[in-house]
Amino acid sequence: MESLKVPGSLDSLGDITRYIKNAAQSAHLDERSTYRLRLAVDEIATNVIIHGYEEAGLEGYIELHTELTPEALTIHMDDTGVTYDPAQSLARSELFLSKEIDQRPIGGLGVFLAIQSVDRFSYCRHGGHNRNSFVVYRHSST
Amino acid sequence: MAFSATLSTEEDTAKITLSGELDAASAPAFRSEIEKAAQSQPKRLVLFLQDLEFMASAGLRVLIFAKQKMGADVELYAVAPQEGIRETLVKTGFDKSLIIVDNYAE
Repeated sequence: MESLKVPGSLDSLGDITRYIKNAAQSAHLDERSTYRLRLAVDEIATNVIIHGYEEAGLEGYIELHTELTPEALTIHMDDTGVTYDPAQSLARSELFLSKEIDQRPIGGLGVFLAIQSVDRFSYCRHGGHNRNSFVVYRHSST
Repeated sequence: MAFSATLSTEEDTAKITLSGELDAASAPAFRSEIEKAAQSQPKRLVLFLQDLEFMASAGLRVLIFAKQKMGADVELYAVAPQEGIRETLVKTGFDKSLIIVDNYAE
């Protein structure tokens, strides 16, 4: 499947969504798995745009690549923003999930949702790029 | 589908009908309806979610904002959320702070 390269701004979320929906369709994911994958990618893309680029005063792109095998659909998302490891943010967000919503600190929820919504999530920093990868098994839909 | 949020207020109840896709790009529009709704100091906020197709955590943050803005005692209803959104509300524990119903009697 073709890749997608879009500017790292919130206006790009619509293009990212269309790309993910097409990828999910090619992989014959059901509606629920498609929603969850889209949510995961949307959350991490939003974090990259806001924390990786805008708050850091940087400009750059988000690139999406798709890998499709008989077993799994994998989306790789690359950016050149500041180093941002979602797993570190997750460790903080789990602490307040049991609190009433108005007593929670704001933020962290997106990463929690992203990691929970796909079968496998990974992050690595390599040569000035961040790579977030999302894996959905094609026959795990129940 | 484009996001829209429509507010109506009756006595002590504010109602907002949401449709389309609620992500970080559209959340400010929802937040501004919450700010308008808060001006009438409602005791109850009812969100009609039947036509809302997607909600990211940016939408959850607006719900937190609503509670903070309107006071912890405001009753927050989520009416007929679609499956994916319902799952998000439950998974994040928001179902403990808002009342999820299939229908809302006027």
